[in-house]
Amino acid sequence: MSHWKASLAKIPSPIQRYGLAVLSVAIALGIALFLERYQFRGVEFPLFLFSIALTVWYAGVGPAVVSVALSSIAFDYFFTEPLYSLYIRGSDLPYYAIFVSFASLLTWFSAIRHRAERDLLRSRDELQKEVEVRTQQASLLNLTHDTIFVRDMGGIITYWNRGAQELYGWTPEQAVGKRSHDLLRTVFPAPIEEISAELLRAGRWEGELKHVKADQTEVVVSSRWSLRRNEEKKPVAVLETNNDITERKRGEEEVRKLNQQLGKRTTELEAINKELEAFAYSVSHDLRAPLRHIAGYTELLQKNASAVVDEKGRRYMATILESAKRMGTLIDDLLAFSRIGRAETRETMVSLEQLVKEVQSELWQETDGRNIAWRIGTLPDLYGDRSMLKLVLVNLISNAIKFTRKSSRPEIEIGCTEEKKDGMVVFIRDNGVGFDMKYVNKLFGVFQRLHRTEEFEGTGIGLATVQRIIHRHGGQVWAEGLVGGGATFYLSLPKP
Amino acid sequence: MPTIGRILLVEDDPRDVELTMTALEEYNLSNEVVVAVDGEEALDYLFCRGKFQRRTSENPAVLLLDLKLPKVDGLEVLQQIKSDERLKMIPVVILTSSREERDMVASYKLGVNAYVVKPVDFHEFVNAIKELGVFWAIINEAPPGSIRNK
Repeated sequence: MSHWKASLAKIPSPIQRYGLAVLSVAIALGIALFLERYQFRGVEFPLFLFSIALTVWYAGVGPAVVSVALSSIAFDYFFTEPLYSLYIRGSDLPYYAIFVSFASLLTWFSAIRHRAERDLLRSRDELQKEVEVRTQQASLLNLTHDTIFVRDMGGIITYWNRGAQELYGWTPEQAVGKRSHDLLRTVFPAPIEEISAELLRAGRWEGELKHVKADQTEVVVSSRWSLRRNEEKKPVAVLETNNDITERKRGEEEVRKLNQQLGKRTTELEAINKELEAFAYSVSHDLRAPLRHIAGYTELLQKNASAVVDEKGRRYMATILESAKRMGTLIDDLLAFSRIGRAETRETMVSLEQLVKEVQSELWQETDGRNIAWRIGTLPDLYGDRSMLKLVLVNLISNAIKFTRKSSRPEIEIGCTEEKKDGMVVFIRDNGVGFDMKYVNKLFGVFQRLHRTEEFEGTGIGLATVQRIIHRHGGQVWAEGLVGGGATFYLSLPKP
Repeated sequence: MPTIGRILLVEDDPRDVELTMTALEEYNLSNEVVVAVDGEEALDYLFCRGKFQRRTSENPAVLLLDLKLPKVDGLEVLQQIKSDERLKMIPVVILTSSREERDMVASYKLGVNAYVVKPVDFHEFVNAIKELGVFWAIINEAPPGSIRNK
C-alpha cells in the first residue's frame, strides 16, 4: 500500500496539482469530443466525473473544485444545447445541476476517503514504529541477567525474561500462562492482602521472597514489584524484578550468628574481667591487712617479750616477719602485674636510648660500687606506652645487674640487632649466671623462678610482666642462655 | 608543750586500731584520739548525733579514715564531710591497705587532703602513723573551730 503514499508525494507543488486538474479535464474533453465524432453519445458525463475523481484523488480538494468548474464549463460549452455557447437553457438546468452536485459529492466523498486512508496509513506507520521500539525494549529486557517477569492482575505470567529462565529454570513457554505464586511457591514476608494493598496504594512494593526453583531448591530473592495501570488508571499488570540474594542471606545469617557468639563471649569476658578486678581489689584490701597484723604483732612481741623468749623463739619471730614481708612484696607485685593487663595504654613516640639512660640512673643503688662494663649501641625510637616500656627495661636491666653479681668482670650489652621494614629487635645481653635452655619455656611464666631465693632474690613476676607488656604492644619476647655463660633477652617490636 | 589536735580515727579492725594507737602513744598523741568503728559512727560523731549528741560541737583537727568500712564506707563518709559547709574544712587523711588507683582517684576527686597506704612492714607502719599524727595534730594549724588541748 505504500505506493499510495509515494504517488501523493509525487505531486507536491500547487502548479502541478492544479495543472493535473486542468490536464485531466482537457483529456476527458478531448476523449469525449473524439468519441462524439464517431457518434458515441453521452460518454462526456462519466468522463468528466472520472477526471474530477482522478484530480481529487491525486491533487486534493482545491484542484478538484477547479476541475469541477472547468468540467461544468466544458460540458455546458460543448455538450449542451445551444452548442458552443455558455448559455444554459432553463430545461437543461436540472440536468446541469445534477452534474455539478454529483461532481461535488464525488469530490467530497473522495476527499473524505482520501483523508481516512491517509490517517490510516499514518497510524499504521506509527504503530509499526511503536512495535519496533517495543520489540527492541523487550529484547533488551531479555538481555539483562536480572530476573524480570510480568503478570496480570490475576497473577498469570504474561512475560518471562531470560534472567527468569536462568534463575528459576523454566523457559518462557513453560512459565507464561501459569500463576506465578503457584509456579514459584512464593513465601511472602507479610500477608498477601497487606502486600497487595501496599502495591495498589503506592504503585510499588519491595521485599524479600522465598521461591522454589524448577529443580526444587529454595532461593531467597530481593523482589521489586511495579504496578502498571492503563489509561483509565485501572491496574492491569505487575512487573516483578527479582535478585537472588540466597548467598548474601546465608552470609548475613552467618555474620549474625558469629556476632551473637562474639557478643556472648564479650559479655562473658567482661564478667570475668569484672570478677578479676573485684578479686584484685579484694586481694589488695583484705589480704594485706592480716599480713600487716602478723608483722605488727610479731614486732610488738619481739619488743615486749624478748626477755621471756629464748634464741630459738627470737629466730622464729624473725622468720615470721621476713615471710610476712615477702608475702607483702608478692601481693604488691602480683597486683602490679594484673594491673598491666587491665590498664589502658597511652602510646607516644619513645626514645629507647633516653629510656635506657633513665633506667640506668634509677638503678644506681644496685650498680653502686660494682664495676659493670656497659656497652650500649644505637637504639631506635619506639611507639608505645612510655611507663610500660620503662618497666620492661627496669625488669630486664635489673635482672642483668642481679645475675652478673657473681661475675668477676660483669658486662651488660644493650643494642638493636636488626631494623627491618616491619619491626625491630632489641636485645639485652649479660655475662651472668645464665640459665639452662631446658627451662626456657618457664622463664616468662608468673611466679616461675630458675634460682633459689637464697641465691638471687625475686618474686618471679618480672619477666612475666615484660612479656605481658611486649605482647600488649604487639611484639614478641624470647631468650637465649647458657648455664654460667650469660643470658640474652630479645624483644621484637612492630615499627611505628 | 604544744597544743594537740583531736584525732578522729575511723577504723573497723580492732587490731589496726591497736597498732595505730601503739604508734601514736610513742608521741603521746593517743589521749586525743577518738575511735569510730564504722562510717555511721564517724558521721554520728561529726554531726553530734546518736551517742555523740552531748559532745561539744567543735571539729576534730584531723580525720584518719579507712576506706573499707561496715555500713557506710570511707568514700561516702568523705563525700558527706566535703559537701557539708561546717565539716568541709576538716583535714581528711585516707589510711588504707589498698593501693588501687581508682580509690586514690575517687578520694582526690572528693577533695581528700592526703592518701596513705598502710605499709605491711611494722616499722614503716609505725613511722607513717607517727608522722601523720605529728604533722596533722601538732605541726599543722588546724582550721578554726577545731578541738585542741594542751
